[in-house]
Amino acid sequence: MSAQSHPGRQRTTWLIFIGLCLFTFVNLMPLLWAVLTSLKDPRDAFTIPPTLIFEPTLKYHIEVWTENDFVFYLMNSLIVSAGTVFISVPAGSLAAYAISRIPRRSAGPILSALFTIRMFPHMLLAIPFFVMGTFLDMIDTYPLLILALVAINQPFTIWLMHGFFLEIPRDLDEAAAIDGCSNWQAFRIVILPLAKPGMTVAALFSLLLSYNEFLFALVLTGTDTKTLPVAIAAFGGEDISSWSLSAAGAIGIMLPIVVVMLLLQRHLVRGLTAGAVKG
Amino acid sequence: MAPLTIQQATKSFGGLQVLHGIDIDMNDGEFVVLVGPSGCGKSTLLRLIAGLEDITTGEIRIDGKGVSRLHPKDRDIAMVFQSYALYPHMTVAENMGFSLRMRGESAEVQRRKVEDAANILDLGPLLDRYPRQLSGGQRQRVAMGRAIVRDPKVFLFDEPLSNLDAKLRVQMRSEIRSLHKALKTTIVYVTHDQIEAMTMADKIVVMRGGHVEQIGSPMTLYDAPANVFVAGFIGSPAMNLLTGRIGADGRSFELAGGGTIRFDAPLGAAAGREVILGIRPEDVTLAEDGSPATIKLIEPTGADLHVNLDVSGTEVTAVFHERLSIEEGQAVALAVPAERVHLFDPETEARIAGD
Repeated sequence: MSAQSHPGRQRTTWLIFIGLCLFTFVNLMPLLWAVLTSLKDPRDAFTIPPTLIFEPTLKYHIEVWTENDFVFYLMNSLIVSAGTVFISVPAGSLAAYAISRIPRRSAGPILSALFTIRMFPHMLLAIPFFVMGTFLDMIDTYPLLILALVAINQPFTIWLMHGFFLEIPRDLDEAAAIDGCSNWQAFRIVILPLAKPGMTVAALFSLLLSYNEFLFALVLTGTDTKTLPVAIAAFGGEDISSWSLSAAGAIGIMLPIVVVMLLLQRHLVRGLTAGAVKG
Repeated sequence: MAPLTIQQATKSFGGLQVLHGIDIDMNDGEFVVLVGPSGCGKSTLLRLIAGLEDITTGEIRIDGKGVSRLHPKDRDIAMVFQSYALYPHMTVAENMGFSLRMRGESAEVQRRKVEDAANILDLGPLLDRYPRQLSGGQRQRVAMGRAIVRDPKVFLFDEPLSNLDAKLRVQMRSEIRSLHKALKTTIVYVTHDQIEAMTMADKIVVMRGGHVEQIGSPMTLYDAPANVFVAGFIGSPAMNLLTGRIGADGRSFELAGGGTIRFDAPLGAAAGREVILGIRPEDVTLAEDGSPATIKLIEPTGADLHVNLDVSGTEVTAVFHERLSIEEGQAVALAVPAERVHLFDPETEARIAGD
């Protein structure tokens, strides 16, 4: 039976493989286009049909990193992202742990409420944040943007971490209590190390959200704290001759994230697949 | 080592009361087994003793000191969980020494105590391994090691053998028993397995529906069960519980479904009284002048023969230790010594002491 089904199974595997290759290609097209555009002279960038053979230039990459205050905006982005991650993940983890250890009857409404906040259109939140920021004279400061990003990020962090904490048996909390731990010690010494893969994933998602966030950054920042996504948008505009520069900026903005992803890849895969197989 | 007293302990979860005024006295160094079917409250009672659940009313005293409102760490107890609850990110040595670390013991004391416990449990070569690198039996031993290291006043075991295979379970049973003999610490052990209870306990507490049904030594519970529930729960195969009435001569039992079982002496209840008659399967013998029965099913276990007999439509299980030449469908005559019979009141289900 297995001999008969084998060729059929192989064909299905190939079809899935080809389908996934096409899907990947379609997804990578914008990135590929950005990479090519960043290496082209603007005249080559907009020829129809597009030219694949051209004289590549790093001129715009160099220009991005040396002029236009790119590094300044990058630092702003990194400060805001780091601030968001360092508040969002610990606070979210504590909340998630607490929710995971209360009866399901009570946890359900809290999680649903968090989910509702997540579904709220961010645009509607940006305006109140702007009003509050103006009132408190905090517009164009890091804390305001960081707090806003923590607020919109927190439901997701709590949801994600809640799943991880649920997988850690309560017996461990109880064993720790009997072994002499207070609730805080049990969390810090026993539970937290086990939730590390989950925290890595939560930190990465939080980092991605805050690093790429555009709307809040546009509304709440100014010349002092403008982040890269807002700054890059200003590189391009309607002037076609700036699009190569804009594309080089887009590649530049990606690089720190790619480096972080590569460094944490092992934890990321472990975190995303945690609980898939019973240990 | 310490006595443990539970007085009028109740526990409610919201409107649901799961323990109803439990009173148990456990002597210093005693091995006490809480046994009963699922949902009887035995694990909840253990968690009350551990401090993992708050007692609703009542009092728990360890070594004479009220501990009901104390945090688990202040009760001087150690607990072995059903899931072992080993810390996955710590080595065996770290797991075993964790309570000492939390107590602020020096590294030297931690090492010495962990090594001593490891020697008792034969865990020496495994001290640097992580729980995921151990077999079920080894994990079980580490969990016990973690408890021993603390040198607590009371050990609590929550169904510790239920995740092990049958062979390992028997082995670990004797290991725990030997450990108790060596340490002489009071142990409270929860199980739903009456064989475990019978083989390990100095004292068994049988529970049902949040009530204590009977407390006594294994042989007391076996020989004189207080009620129908204990009679049916203790012993394997379970006691035959037959409904009917005492015959006019006081030496026979008229089965409700028809038929009569005759005995060699008066049964100890008034003639004509309705009773539930309990017969242990191992007390049934075959005799030429016994009551007529037919063999329905024979189940050889190797050591014993389990035989289902049909007595005028009522099924009676018998266990024979000798190898009998019998076959299914064969007509036989069964006999039971009158002094081995248990009588219970059909209304209250309580044991009848004898009229």
